[in-house]
Amino acid sequence: MSLVNLAHVCSHLQNASKARLGLTSIPVSKMHVNLMLGLQREGFISSVTLGGTAPPQPFLLQETVDPEAHEEMAQKLAEQPWAAYPVPGSLGRPAGTMLEGREILHDVKVPQNPARRRLWLGLKYWNNEPVLKNMKLVSKPTRRIWLTSEDLGRITRTREAAYVKGLTHPGECMFLTTDRGILEARECVERKLGGMALCRVY
Amino acid sequence: MSVCRPVRCLFASASLPKPPSAPKRSFHASAPRAARKRRAHYPSIKAEDLNLLNQAADTQYPKYDTSETTLLEKRYTPAQIAAIKAAETAIDTRDLVTQSQRRSDPWLLPYEDDLAEVDPVTDHAEKLDIKDIPGNKSFREVNDVERDEAITLLANENLAKLFPDGIPEGEVSEDTVRQLEDAMGTALTQAVLDPRATMRIEDDRVAATLADPRYSMVLPDLPRIENRMVRQTRRLSSEEEEDPRQKRLLQYLDWDKTKLRSIRCKTLVVHGVTNQTRMGKIRSLYYLTIAGNQDGLLGVGEGKSVEPEEGRKQSIMSAIRNMRPVPRYENRTTFGDLEHKVGATKVQLFSRPPGFGLRVQHLIFELARAAGLQDLSARTPRSRNKMNVIKATWEALCNQKLPDEIARARGKKLVDVRKVYYGGSVH
Repeated sequence: MSLVNLAHVCSHLQNASKARLGLTSIPVSKMHVNLMLGLQREGFISSVTLGGTAPPQPFLLQETVDPEAHEEMAQKLAEQPWAAYPVPGSLGRPAGTMLEGREILHDVKVPQNPARRRLWLGLKYWNNEPVLKNMKLVSKPTRRIWLTSEDLGRITRTREAAYVKGLTHPGECMFLTTDRGILEARECVERKLGGMALCRVY
Repeated sequence: MSVCRPVRCLFASASLPKPPSAPKRSFHASAPRAARKRRAHYPSIKAEDLNLLNQAADTQYPKYDTSETTLLEKRYTPAQIAAIKAAETAIDTRDLVTQSQRRSDPWLLPYEDDLAEVDPVTDHAEKLDIKDIPGNKSFREVNDVERDEAITLLANENLAKLFPDGIPEGEVSEDTVRQLEDAMGTALTQAVLDPRATMRIEDDRVAATLADPRYSMVLPDLPRIENRMVRQTRRLSSEEEEDPRQKRLLQYLDWDKTKLRSIRCKTLVVHGVTNQTRMGKIRSLYYLTIAGNQDGLLGVGEGKSVEPEEGRKQSIMSAIRNMRPVPRYENRTTFGDLEHKVGATKVQLFSRPPGFGLRVQHLIFELARAAGLQDLSARTPRSRNKMNVIKATWEALCNQKLPDEIARARGKKLVDVRKVYYGGSVH
């Protein structure tokens, strides 16, 4: 697990925000995916989608149910709610098919070749300012930093601990990789977990 | 170590003399602490006996008395009154005294109002209909004799109103005579136009509605409006004999002189500059001035002129004109750490706990004091060019990211933990 790729992702996200991009892509790895989901949970990015080299089709361009058909379906479901559940395969239909109310799953074309997969991120802007402005590594590829929950308690209260500066900027977040997955520092304090610091974001 | 030793100790303890409770000889000249009688400087009274909190709560948030409850019953349904009573009993007034505070967030109402009175500007004026007139509404038109009598009576009344000190008699000047004639004409016209002159209403209450503005078809007088246009056209004695630059500034800011006097200005940078022309060097003076109201407004202005006083005035005026709001956390420090770069100068500002003070370099100190910041520390790790330090600090202070904005941008709820912990009574 090298942190070099993460460092590249950090600078790429900063650059993409400065360039006011709406959508950008990063290489896929388990750590990247989990970290980006953490960023989405904290509200820094709007969407995380696995895709290929081309960006995934925007929601508006994808096939949708037209409003009339939607209305009809809603009426029918209101009368016969059981139609929303799959029927057993005795009546000539294959098992598991639903009569109505099928969820539309937009198929995102993910290449078979994992090397060609990319993680597509939607960036956020507010009041003409990027929401994610600064993203920096805490642990470095040559110097990992592990923090205990006590250290994290101090850091989240803006004090320095274990040579890591406190979270002094308003709304600053730090992400750590723990044995329960990639979590935000405050969440770690809440669950009394320690871990390896990855990056700080504000 | 012998096994029977504890036993021996037990046996021995009975025969041994007990050590004296107090040492026989004191090593100090003064009496030991326990021997001195401890007396308080004042008699101690329990908080419950003092009853101050209860008194304060009762005076600030009094209970409804019977007259008020009867008024409420007229206005509200029994269900609403039950809700009001439940709300009154649910909140302890002592908690209101100790814990409640005024809102200070950016989304508070722009005015202070308990909605108890009708405000002529924000509220609609109360209007009453013909159906609201009590009693018999019939009237009859008067005959000529009655009308003349009524007009005489009303004209006399009106004249008495115009001359409250009595009509001037005896030898009077021409001006007074003309004034008297004018007044008599006015009084007579008013009397002729008065509805009481032409009709007779039986019911006194109905007659009284004629004078009630709530029944009037015409809207009531517009309230005095305080706005920029009105203020500019109005003349105040305090606005006289002032230099045109200050006058323009006041018009621009929409202020009056007294407000301008509360602004603190300080010139922080002065140096000579030269313009090399083919005629030779033209020397002039550059001024950089800061202005602030010590309550969250801060401006920086520059001025340059051959005349020193002229340049200084220019810089002061532009500083006041450039004043921008500085958001302050608890009215004392910044929202988190700030960093700003102007040219080769980088300024880092750090928010600090209450009572920390302004431990910053002199230029940033002046800016912080003018803006009303009390707890701050700062670093200028790179170039310390005076002008750039001032500009960078000013821009950093003015362009802070507020927690509310961050919360909205991220779609998360952010809570000020300090405010919650201290129950909001932090400043």
